[in-house]
Amino acid sequence: MNVAIELLSAALLLVGATFYLAGTVGLLRFPDVYARLHTLTKADNLGLGFIILGLAVQADSLMMACKLLLIWPLVLMASATVSYSIARRADEMGIAPISGDGDSA
Amino acid sequence: MTGLEGPLALFLLLNLLAALIRAARGPTLADRMLAALLFGNTGVGVLLLLAYAGGTLPLNTALVDVALVLALLAAVTGVAFAKRAWGREEEKHERSD
Amino acid sequence: MIKIVYTDLRHIRSVLWRSVLFTALWWVLVEGRTDGWGMGGISVILSLAASLYLMPPTKVSFSSLGCAVFFSFFLIQSVKGGFQVAIMALRPRLKLAPVIMDLPITLPPGMARVVLANTLSLLPGTLSVRIHGDQLRLHILNRHLPIMQELRATEAAIAHIWKKTP
Repeated sequence: MNVAIELLSAALLLVGATFYLAGTVGLLRFPDVYARLHTLTKADNLGLGFIILGLAVQADSLMMACKLLLIWPLVLMASATVSYSIARRADEMGIAPISGDGDSA
Repeated sequence: MTGLEGPLALFLLLNLLAALIRAARGPTLADRMLAALLFGNTGVGVLLLLAYAGGTLPLNTALVDVALVLALLAAVTGVAFAKRAWGREEEKHERSD
Repeated sequence: MIKIVYTDLRHIRSVLWRSVLFTALWWVLVEGRTDGWGMGGISVILSLAASLYLMPPTKVSFSSLGCAVFFSFFLIQSVKGGFQVAIMALRPRLKLAPVIMDLPITLPPGMARVVLANTLSLLPGTLSVRIHGDQLRLHILNRHLPIMQELRATEAAIAHIWKKTP
């Protein structure tokens, strides 16, 4: 395989993994369920996007690359709708968001 | 095949584990529902990386299909979930009108 | 009479578009192989029938330019959103100023609002909590950001997706 493609793929995969790490750290550190949803719907989804891109550039056929890229919108749709359901349920259950002024530790 | 796929799959799996433990601890019921999101997203990532790990050609493309089906099911579940929520919302709205 | 002709035209056009779309989808799913067209033909016909039953063609159709505009808007904003929340999570001191806000929606009820709520959840700093009446309840990670501006920009991008056909 072309070395340039391999390097590009490796870089994309590592960026993706970094976003996953950020998502997990956010999940562990953020104060309430709403803030945690932010990390899962944004950081993790972008992480998956980069992983898929990294695998798509080294796919052996164009169709395989298309197939990989097809997965991303599906997962996005799933995340957005499930996250809406969770946020709505949390709001219904009366879980108040923890508010801060931007300086709290 | 960059040689990174296997280790990264393991890394994602560890992330999933840490996140699941966090989600299971709660404290609220809503926190526990985060597990549904985690499987839909990180699970697909792990499967895709595993499809390309190992390095023997032909690659394990069946796992790509598994990931696709998992993503599809997650999307359908999400839509069904939300549709029920939206339906209830409209119902309530009509009743209050 | 003219109306009937228009309706038929619309029908033929959407049937054609959808057939092309499902065929392309099948072709991607089998990774460009050419040996399974029997099965593929059946799948395309069945999915076409299901889609016509579940989503009959209406006066409003998708605009391809509008979809492209929305897609590029979405892609840029989504990368921004991922970076922003990743930086927030990895910063040594968590600097959050979360708040829940009810904001007025200007998009018409139905599909457009569903897309709006889902899109905002994936964009920087906003998370849709619920829609009640014409208000959208959002959870915002940092209330010092220009949320209203972002909401209006997103609504504008979404409004482009659909166009009225005669």
